[in-house]
Amino acid sequence: MSVFAGPLSRLIDELKRLPGIGQKSAQRIAFHIERAAREDAERLSQAILEVKDKIRLCNLCNNLTEQDPCEYCSDPTRDQSVICVVETPYNVVGIERTREFHGLYHVLHGALSPLQGIGPEQLRLKNLMERLKSGSVKEIIVATNPNVEGEATAIYLSKLIKPLGVKVSRIAMGIPVGSELEFADEVTMLKAMEGRREI
Amino acid sequence: MPLRETEAIVLRTYRLGEADKIVSLFTRQVGRLRAAASGAQRPKSRYGGMLEPLTYIRLWLFERENRDLLRINSTELLESFFAMQGDYRVQLAAQYIAEAAERFLPEREVNERAFRLLLAVLRALKASREIDRPLLYYNYWLLRLAGFLPQLEQCCACGRALAGEEIFYGDETQGLVCSRCRTSRSRKISGEAFSLMEKMRRSPLDAWMASEPLAPAVREARRLFETWMEACAERKLVTLELLAAES
Repeated sequence: MSVFAGPLSRLIDELKRLPGIGQKSAQRIAFHIERAAREDAERLSQAILEVKDKIRLCNLCNNLTEQDPCEYCSDPTRDQSVICVVETPYNVVGIERTREFHGLYHVLHGALSPLQGIGPEQLRLKNLMERLKSGSVKEIIVATNPNVEGEATAIYLSKLIKPLGVKVSRIAMGIPVGSELEFADEVTMLKAMEGRREI
Repeated sequence: MPLRETEAIVLRTYRLGEADKIVSLFTRQVGRLRAAASGAQRPKSRYGGMLEPLTYIRLWLFERENRDLLRINSTELLESFFAMQGDYRVQLAAQYIAEAAERFLPEREVNERAFRLLLAVLRALKASREIDRPLLYYNYWLLRLAGFLPQLEQCCACGRALAGEEIFYGDETQGLVCSRCRTSRSRKISGEAFSLMEKMRRSPLDAWMASEPLAPAVREARRLFETWMEACAERKLVTLELLAAES
């Protein structure tokens, strides 16, 4: 027999399935929802359903969007000649926060990871290649994660795209701002040295 | 809670929560194990690139009684194979090496020869950027060190000596068979591939990499061992499928 009443127990079980939520956190959230006003609970359930009903992938860039094409692809003020390729939609948010990039995006929804059985076929590359055929794109910035999978994806993309005459660049890798050189590991330091620029 | 020091090769990592990682390692002094690295996903993590797959590191681990998962205290880089990512086929081969090691080497069983094999084959891949010869060598020795290598001189069904005979292999036999014991699904192995295997078995890796065997015979022998690898593992190796698609 469950310690909690049926509906409460079911809510805790559902919350526990969310990433980063364990038994204790699930109980705390469930009790909060139970104590909250009915309107608050309705707003929450409505918001969850709306995400499921209205969010889809942009046909051009694969970003999560309510409208198709997404707000980035349909914005005429953005630079149509530069596309930044990222692994996940969260990465778009990270780059947008800089307020320095004004080009377009392309989301791969993953990176090459042979150990997980993810090869080129599993990445959303087809519509990227179609976008490049238009001839208006001059540069692709590969902003995949600076790890083994991200690096392999970047190299694979450059080999695929360069023959089309499009410039392919990779985001810099190296020492994080605010840290100190003495704590940098050898791989990071090596990448920082390789990616040095003239000032 | 004793602190252990050991050399290790990182086989793969898994995300753990928001900031941590679980690292699958093949260590020189303890064997294959898994350990948690707290904060390893953070941009300013003290581990930096040292926990990337196939990095050769020295590490210090905390071990608790009755707990399978150890905790990484600190790491030191001994050799990085990060530059191998420049070639997708080489990366596939390297990850195949990691997957096969995870599948064939039992947990907490020290295997110094397997450790040296892994390191030597990774170095050969990094230096040559060629995959067929290092992978053939790795497959043969990993099967042998894990105790799965079938008899190569005699027919595994009737025990007849195979020298000078037509030789066959198949998924169902897990060994070489003569023309009398072959089944309808058996595939023939060429004389070149068979003699190449003989040569490889007697050569250290450096000498094997310096030799220039016929490429089709190397690929044929590699396919033979990969068939046995999957049969012994009793499951498909995911990296092998991607490797076959790239070949």
